[in-house]
Amino acid sequence: MAVYKRGYQRYQGPKSTHWTRFMVLPRFGWQRIFQQRLVVLLIVVSMIWPLLCAIFIYVSNHADLLKGLGPQFRSFIEVTGSFFIAFMTFQSSLAVVLAAITGPGLIAPDVANNALPLYFSRPLTRSDYALGRLVTLFGLLSLVTWIPGLALFGMQVAMASPEWVRVNWRFGFGIVAGFALWILLVSLVAMASSAYARVKAVSGGLVLGFFFILSGLSGMINGIYRVTWGNALSPTWATSRIWYALLKVDPNTPRMEGPGVMPCALVLLSIMLLLVWVIERKLRPVEVIA
Amino acid sequence: MNQPMIVFDEVSKFYGEVLGVNHVSLNIPPGITSLVGPNGSGKTTLMNLMTGLIHPDDGSIRMRGLSPRDPEDLMRITGYATQYDASPRWATGFSFITTGLLLFGFGRADAEQKAWAALKKLGLAEAAHRKMAAYSKGMRQRVRLAQAIAHDPDILILDEPLNGLDPLVRAETIALFHSWAAQGRHVVLSSHVLQEVDMISDQVVLISNGMIVAEGKIRNVRAEIKEHPSQFIIRCRDASRVAALLFHEDQVTEVRLNEDRLGLLVMTRDREQFARAISHIALEGYGVDTVIPADENVDALYEYLIGEGR
Repeated sequence: MAVYKRGYQRYQGPKSTHWTRFMVLPRFGWQRIFQQRLVVLLIVVSMIWPLLCAIFIYVSNHADLLKGLGPQFRSFIEVTGSFFIAFMTFQSSLAVVLAAITGPGLIAPDVANNALPLYFSRPLTRSDYALGRLVTLFGLLSLVTWIPGLALFGMQVAMASPEWVRVNWRFGFGIVAGFALWILLVSLVAMASSAYARVKAVSGGLVLGFFFILSGLSGMINGIYRVTWGNALSPTWATSRIWYALLKVDPNTPRMEGPGVMPCALVLLSIMLLLVWVIERKLRPVEVIA
Repeated sequence: MNQPMIVFDEVSKFYGEVLGVNHVSLNIPPGITSLVGPNGSGKTTLMNLMTGLIHPDDGSIRMRGLSPRDPEDLMRITGYATQYDASPRWATGFSFITTGLLLFGFGRADAEQKAWAALKKLGLAEAAHRKMAAYSKGMRQRVRLAQAIAHDPDILILDEPLNGLDPLVRAETIALFHSWAAQGRHVVLSSHVLQEVDMISDQVVLISNGMIVAEGKIRNVRAEIKEHPSQFIIRCRDASRVAALLFHEDQVTEVRLNEDRLGLLVMTRDREQFARAISHIALEGYGVDTVIPADENVDALYEYLIGEGR
């Protein structure tokens, strides 16, 4: 009997959808990440600043605790946009450190061990893979950024007067959107360096180096040419500039002197496109060295 | 009856200026097909093209009617084990295979049940919950195979699947390939161990420098190689007399008598005429016991078609 005349029954049962399938990657990614003690420790440490901010909000909303204090001090501990900017600035630095520790383990081992064909010989595209890794980092960094930020905002809304809520409701949106922008940038940097460097330690160093070097470069340009537009080349500064706009905080301070929101947004967009290009180039199932 | 085929139609793939494969046309029927060729000849490129990991610059490919550009459908019917030992050391064999199945879209219970079945088939049930860092090379090789067969694919593509396996597991794995092929599925594999290819394959594809040198059943391919006389070993009672008779045949180019004078190595340009001649001799009572083709194997094909050209 010819082989093709024999038959067999393939699996006919239900299959999960494309979108739920790609979530397998973040699920196992998080599982792996939270097995690292350093990561757990860093997340715990990341909660100290939000805790202090929560105490600040509590105190600022309890006038009875402030009796006897001067009006100058009272105005200092008001919850304003600057308060949230300070919160975001500190947490964003922790997010970079967290990304530098966890990001390299996401792609580098797969590239170094030629494991990408394992993923791509499933019903999973390169975009799905990249998106899965991005979601892994996005979820992790959310824990130390917009989630505590939104919690602080919620606490303030619950304690503040209706007048404060009416005037400052946009802070909630600003915190989420501002952090989302930062997380996206940091995640792309972590993924690109992980795909590029292959060695985890080098990749982690690249993540930190990316932010330090570009900040240093922008400072050098400003110093040499006696300009302020160089600030736009620093992703940290450019993102801060957008945060100021989102939270409607006056940027007329010496630190924020420089280009406006649009040039900063364009620079950040260009950097992100460049990072996506690097990821696209490196995430190939087959590498050919000509 | 129409067989589901793997079809390559004038497929070319270049990596920049480096040739991957050039003008490859193939029709691979179900069964076990071995890709044979020297290192860098294009075997892995062919496999990567079949699985859609790379796409051809020219030509088209159909895998049992599906395009490799459609991973959503193709990968459901395809299992691929690459030549790389890429299994994550921190995972257990069971979690590695289960995760792969979840990516295929199976529910958790189905995935776990299929992972068990695959691990059992490859004799890894006892080690299923051990981390792969503790696996031997052969065990990791078996895990690679298990992840390829776990979703019960119609097409198995296996790059050097028998490397690192001990003889017993090797035999069991070959039996697994045979049972897979016997169900009308495709098993496409590459191997450097030519004796094994001989044993396993229903058909072979010989490839060299990115071009197909020959394809088909080993016997048919051998018959096509006219410039090399076919070799036969004859065991008989009166070897000297048989040798003398064979010298009268035009198509016989050389006869070597064995030292024990009970065997001959005969070279002939025409296998059919030789078959007729030796049948006559046998019927005339010269005690011909066996006639075995000596170069009807992949080893010889490799030597004739690839070895000499290198």
